[in-house]
Amino acid sequence: MLSELLTEEKIRFSNDSLTWRQAVTQVAEPLLAAGDITSGYVDAMIDSIAAGGTYIDLGYGIALAHARPESGAVRTAISMLRLAEPAPLLDQPEHSVDLYFCFAAVDAAAHTGAMSSLARILSDTETRDALRDARSAADVTKLITRFEETR
Amino acid sequence: MKFLAMCSTGLGSSFMVRMNIEDIVRELQLPDVTVEHSDISSAGPESADVFFVAKDLEDAAAGLGDVVVLNSIIDKDELRDAVKSAAARHGLT
Repeated sequence: MLSELLTEEKIRFSNDSLTWRQAVTQVAEPLLAAGDITSGYVDAMIDSIAAGGTYIDLGYGIALAHARPESGAVRTAISMLRLAEPAPLLDQPEHSVDLYFCFAAVDAAAHTGAMSSLARILSDTETRDALRDARSAADVTKLITRFEETR
Repeated sequence: MKFLAMCSTGLGSSFMVRMNIEDIVRELQLPDVTVEHSDISSAGPESADVFFVAKDLEDAAAGLGDVVVLNSIIDKDELRDAVKSAAARHGLT
């Protein structure tokens, strides 16, 4: 379940004006601090975006930064960073992102539960809007728990 | 009939699209459709009947066959229309 992984200490808000590299580094920070990923994983995410990986742009100002398990995923984990100002991927205005998720999976099978929960939440217009409007980590965990309880 | 969602790693975005396609296939009650996801580099023209990719991978997916390009991978309305058209193209509806 997503609510078990995306706990309050994995959710950050920032009013700083960041580049996409800084945003990816910051969204990954709680996972790095918890030992869920290695610093190599952060480098791999940044390298893959720099190599043209704007595919992590999901639309609606939301991006899902991730790399391959072998790049340094220690445990399956998710974190979130909400920015007051967008940090466009590769500085491209058409990839304006102000809600970054960082996702690490130890293997393709391990992540399916949390990822399907995240996919459903982000694809549900009402919950997605509520997530974008959330102003605190507690708001975010509350709405995820509520979403999971009602499905 | 096989639908394949693809992204660069075969883990993140493609899995999300797969989830949503599965929901829509159920909702539309399309018969005999299997949905899978993979990384784009391991997919070939024989891998599926219809391929779904995000806009950024449009060029990389060229040549695979019936390729559907999505503007947003979490826009379920866009995806529903795309799945409906794909089903119609392949005579499922």
